[in-house]
Amino acid sequence: MSAESSRANTIAENQARRRAHGDSLWLKALRKFRHDRVGMWSLAVVCLYALAALGVVTGLWASDWAAVTGPKWASVSTEYWFGTNIIGQDIFARALYSTRTAFEVGVIVALGATFLGAVLGSIAGFFNGTWIDEIVIWLMGVLDSVPFILLVAAIAYSLQGSPWAMHIAMIATFWITTARLVRGEVIKLKSLEYVEAARAIGLGQTLIIFRHILPNTFHILLVQATISFVAAIKSEVILSFLGLGVKDGMSWGLMISESTFEVLAGFFNNFIAASVLMFGLVMAFNMFSDALQDALDPRTVKES
Amino acid sequence: MSLPDNNEILLRVRDLVVEFDTDQGVVRAVDGVSFDLQSGETMGLVGESGCGKTVTGLALLGLIPSPPGRVVSGSIEFQGQNLATLAEDELRRIRGSEISMIFQEPMTALNPVFRIGNQMSDVLRLHQGLSRRQARSAAIEMLAKVGIPDPEQRIDDYPHQLSGGMRQRVMIAMALSCGPKLLVADEPTTALDVTTQAQVLEQITKLQREFGMAMILVTHDLGVVAETCQKAIVMYCGSIVENSPIEALFETPRHPYTGGLLASIPRVRDERITELPVIPGMVPDLLHLPAGCRFADRCERVSERCRQSIPELRKLAATNTLVACYEPY
Repeated sequence: MSAESSRANTIAENQARRRAHGDSLWLKALRKFRHDRVGMWSLAVVCLYALAALGVVTGLWASDWAAVTGPKWASVSTEYWFGTNIIGQDIFARALYSTRTAFEVGVIVALGATFLGAVLGSIAGFFNGTWIDEIVIWLMGVLDSVPFILLVAAIAYSLQGSPWAMHIAMIATFWITTARLVRGEVIKLKSLEYVEAARAIGLGQTLIIFRHILPNTFHILLVQATISFVAAIKSEVILSFLGLGVKDGMSWGLMISESTFEVLAGFFNNFIAASVLMFGLVMAFNMFSDALQDALDPRTVKES
Repeated sequence: MSLPDNNEILLRVRDLVVEFDTDQGVVRAVDGVSFDLQSGETMGLVGESGCGKTVTGLALLGLIPSPPGRVVSGSIEFQGQNLATLAEDELRRIRGSEISMIFQEPMTALNPVFRIGNQMSDVLRLHQGLSRRQARSAAIEMLAKVGIPDPEQRIDDYPHQLSGGMRQRVMIAMALSCGPKLLVADEPTTALDVTTQAQVLEQITKLQREFGMAMILVTHDLGVVAETCQKAIVMYCGSIVENSPIEALFETPRHPYTGGLLASIPRVRDERITELPVIPGMVPDLLHLPAGCRFADRCERVSERCRQSIPELRKLAATNTLVACYEPY
């Protein structure tokens, strides 16, 4: 009886200790992030955009983005919220549809570049000083030295105008920064004793790299993924404007490209709608990314 | 203290040489180390920082970081297998199951992103092919054995939730979970505070007896060696200077370096002294070693011969002590 109650006591003590101690660095980071007002607001804005994109994907709205529904250059009204363009398409629907394009490009490029950067960066870092490291560094140097727009054009040409050329080109260049950061961190981590301990219990190299070292660089990967996401959206707009980007569909870059004629004629709706929406998303995501970085910074985590 | 009856030689190291490439040149961190270890025996590996004791320990498991280090020559015969020439994947099968190692720094020796249970299960699942659930209950059992209270709760803790002593206990539990025949303990208690040191040390020796495994205790703490070991090797500048049963080592140290080490331990003495005795001079730079005995410049018994050639490790007549000195006590 008394043994049982003392056992219940120790369990309760344990739970109290756990609460006081904080469960993990991640929970601490989460708690910190939730106190960051700017971070929370920017996250809310990003979520709003994501919701808009989701609505497009599920066909809830903006499905008639390509249809000619009104007169040429209609001004802002309750029917055409952002007006219409030169051939009478609804600018609001087109801008909304472009949100989906932006998210698609951002997510694919962020995931691809982060994955590639994590794998190659950690392998290079772990085999630091060997030929494997040399090859990865050489690859980074070569890809870095090709002008970005030229690379996109080259890949688009070699893929015969495939709509994925832009994604591939971005992944092929964006992984480099992530890989450099991960490589540096892995070089630092691999000399720590828990890696030596993992070797001492007989784990293989693959397990050590991907199970023991890489998870410890996750804070870098998360922040790099958000940075790649924003960079991809911005690049998509520039590439689409130049005619190297989105081939089938609509994007803010294509809208700005279209508007070049309209701006000369004194009609700014297309241009402003695309620019402001892009600005809003990029700005919110950057602020979110900053807040995330602060929350994950181990130095400030320790202080709290 | 009685030696185990089983006089089988478990580990036979011969002329082990380990070198490291540095910017200034090649450094020979371990130079011709030879020793035997019987099953169940505890051996101390003693010396100052940088004398090659840790590198010797790492070499036994094939864990010399390469590059820049490498085992140049010599053999490490463990149960009839030469570990020095074994392929990496065969070594991996031995590490953690036949030979285990525990490290000096319990604060960094556990992966911070995993619960300790996951890390312990790794070893068991890898070497004993246990299922996730079996490994977990085996890990809980091991945690209880090393004296961790409430192992069912603690197994889900992250390393940062444990104290230094607790972490070292977890490391010990991990190292012993597959019942190795040999444990290499690299300064297992150095980073702990004194009261915890004693507890952890006691725990290690208790488990060692229970599992009947041999242990190499790498340390610079002679007190720890006196308490736990049956014999000890004293290293200086990468070579063994004395290899002796523990009583003989402390009663009649033969090598002047051993003598100097023992004299410099703070203790209660018959007469009052104002200063602790020290060994004069400095450890020579491993890149510019003298031609003769490496201890010659600091030695009070140095002779002409000592400066010309390096003394071999030889057995002193009528003792069980091996000593590398021309002028032993």
